[in-house]
Amino acid sequence: MTPPAIETRDLQKTYRTFLRRKTVPALQGVSLRVEPGTIFGLIGQNGAGKTTLVKILLGLSRPTGGSATLLGASPQNCTVRRRVGYLPEQMRIPEYLTAKSFLRYMGRLNGVSAEILGQRIPELTERVGLAGVKKPVKSYSKGMQQRLGLAQALLNDPEVLFLDEPTDGLDPLGRKDVRDLLVSLRTAGKTIFLNSHMLSEIELVCDQIVILNRGEVARVASPAEFTRGTGEYLVRVTAATDAVRAAAAAVLGASNGNGKNGRSSKAPQPNWTENTLRFSPRDREQLNALIDRLRSAQAEIDAVEPVRLSLEQFFLQVVGAQE
Amino acid sequence: MIAAYLNSLLEAVNRRMALVLAGVALLIAGVFLWIVQMKPLPDGTSVILLGTNFLGPATLAAPAVFRAEIQQTGALWLLLAIFAAAPLLSSSVEKGWLELTFSKGTSRWQIFLGRFLGGLTLYFLTFLLATFPVALRLWWKTGVGPLPLAVALLIQTFSFAALLAVVALATLPQKGMALPIMAAVAVWFISPLLASRRDIFDSFFASHFARGSLDWAYRILPKCSELEKMCATFIQDGRIATWWPLWSTAVFLAATLGLSMWLLERKSF
Repeated sequence: MTPPAIETRDLQKTYRTFLRRKTVPALQGVSLRVEPGTIFGLIGQNGAGKTTLVKILLGLSRPTGGSATLLGASPQNCTVRRRVGYLPEQMRIPEYLTAKSFLRYMGRLNGVSAEILGQRIPELTERVGLAGVKKPVKSYSKGMQQRLGLAQALLNDPEVLFLDEPTDGLDPLGRKDVRDLLVSLRTAGKTIFLNSHMLSEIELVCDQIVILNRGEVARVASPAEFTRGTGEYLVRVTAATDAVRAAAAAVLGASNGNGKNGRSSKAPQPNWTENTLRFSPRDREQLNALIDRLRSAQAEIDAVEPVRLSLEQFFLQVVGAQE
Repeated sequence: MIAAYLNSLLEAVNRRMALVLAGVALLIAGVFLWIVQMKPLPDGTSVILLGTNFLGPATLAAPAVFRAEIQQTGALWLLLAIFAAAPLLSSSVEKGWLELTFSKGTSRWQIFLGRFLGGLTLYFLTFLLATFPVALRLWWKTGVGPLPLAVALLIQTFSFAALLAVVALATLPQKGMALPIMAAVAVWFISPLLASRRDIFDSFFASHFARGSLDWAYRILPKCSELEKMCATFIQDGRIATWWPLWSTAVFLAATLGLSMWLLERKSF
C-alpha cells in the first residue's frame, strides 16, 4: 500500500490568548489522508481552520494534539520540506528583490544548486508567463506577484505542492493557465493540496474535497459525490403549449397522486417555468413515460437533464446545517 | 545559511542603510585624514600632528591616533549600526515573508543566524571603512602597521554582536523593531553605569539585595564600555590586561543568541 503524501490524525490546535486566559480552538480532531498524485481541495468559511491546517502541514505551526505527516515524516523535518512547494495566500516579496534574485534565494533555501537554478528559473518564468519581464518586483501587479509566487513554489520540482488561493488576483485567462498547470502537475504524479474560496475551480480540478467547518472535518468526498443528482430533472421543450402541459400533468399528476402501492405520494406537482418542466420522477420508467407522452402531444424536446447541486450549493447546505 | 547571509547583505544595500552607514564612514575617514598630519623631519623620521596638537614621533604617536579613532567613533558606530542592522532581523519574521522562507528546507535558526552574521558584517565593514584609511596612510608614510587597530576592530565587532543578540531576542515575541532597538540601546547605555556601579549607586542603595542585584546585572550583561577601554589599552600596550569582560560577554552572546534561535525554532506562526 502506497504511503499517503499527507496524513493527519486527530489533529488539534488551540490558540491561547495573552496570559493564557482564553483558549480558541482552531482545529478539533482533523483526520485526513491525501493520496500521492491527486489534487486535494480544502474549503471552508473564514476562520474554519484552513490556514492553521496548512501551516501545521508545512511546519510553520505546531499542533497541540494529534499528529501530521508529510511524505511519511514530520513537517518539522527540513529534509522533507525540500520536497515540498508552497504558495502562501498573503505573500510579501521584499521590494529590493528582482524576480530573478527572489527565485534564486527561494531555490537556495530549498537546497537547489546554482546550476539547476540556472536552468529552472528561465523555464519557470516562461511557464508562469513572466518571461521577459524586467521590471522590479515592487512594480508588479497582484497577478504578476501571484505568478511569481507560483514559480517559486515549483522551483525545487516538489512532490507535494501547497497552494493557498493560487488564482487570487488573476484574470480569467490566468486562472485557466493555473488550472491547466495543476492538471499537468497531477499528470506528472505530483500531489497538490489546494486551499481556495473559488469553489467552481476546486470543483473543476480536484479529485477529493474536504469541507472544514469550525475546525472539524464536515465532509470528505469527490466532486462527483458532492455534486451528485438531486433526483430532480429538467425537461426543456420548444413550446409548452396547453396540450403539452396537460400531457405532463396526465403522467405526473396521476402517478404522483397514486403511488405504486396505492399510497398517496407527497412528490411536488409538475413545475413549469416558461418552457422548462422541473419534476422528480418516481423512477426511470416514469421519466420515459413522460417523454413518450410529451412527444405524442407534439412537444419538441430540446433537453432532458438531471438537476445537480453545485459545490457551492452543497457547501452552503453542509455549513448551514451545522450552524 | 549562506543564502540567508548573502540575502541580508543584499537587503542592507538595497534598503540604503548600508549606503548611509558607508557615507557616514567615509565622512569620518575624511575628517581623520584631514586632521591627522605627518611632518617629515630632516633625519628621515616623521612626527604626527592631530589638528594643531603635536603627538610626537610616528612610532609613538600612531597608537594615539588609533586610540582616538576608536574612542571617537566606537560608541557612535555601535548606536548607528544597531539602527541599521535591526531591520535585517525583524524583517525575517514579517508576515507574508516568513511563510515563504520558513516553509523551505532550511532551518529557521540557520536563516536567522545568516541574517545575524549579515548584520555583523555590515557593522565590521563600515567601521573598517571609517577607521582604516588613516591607519593605511600611517602605515604607508611611517611604516607603523595597523594590526593593533585591526584587533580593536574585532573586539568592537564582538561587543556589537552582544548588542545584536539582544535585538535578536527582542525581535521574536512582538512585531516591529522599536522594542529590539530600545532594548539594545538600553543595554549599551547601562553598561558604563554598571561598570562604575560602586561609585554611582552605592550612595543611593544601602541594601545588600539592591547592591547584589546590581552586581548580578553587571556580571550577566555585556560589558560594552569595558571592551571599548580594552581596545584602547590594547592599542597602547599591545596586551589585554583582563579577559573578564571578553569572556563574560561571550557567555552572554552565546546564551542570548542560542535562546533566540531555540525560541524561533519552537515558535508557532
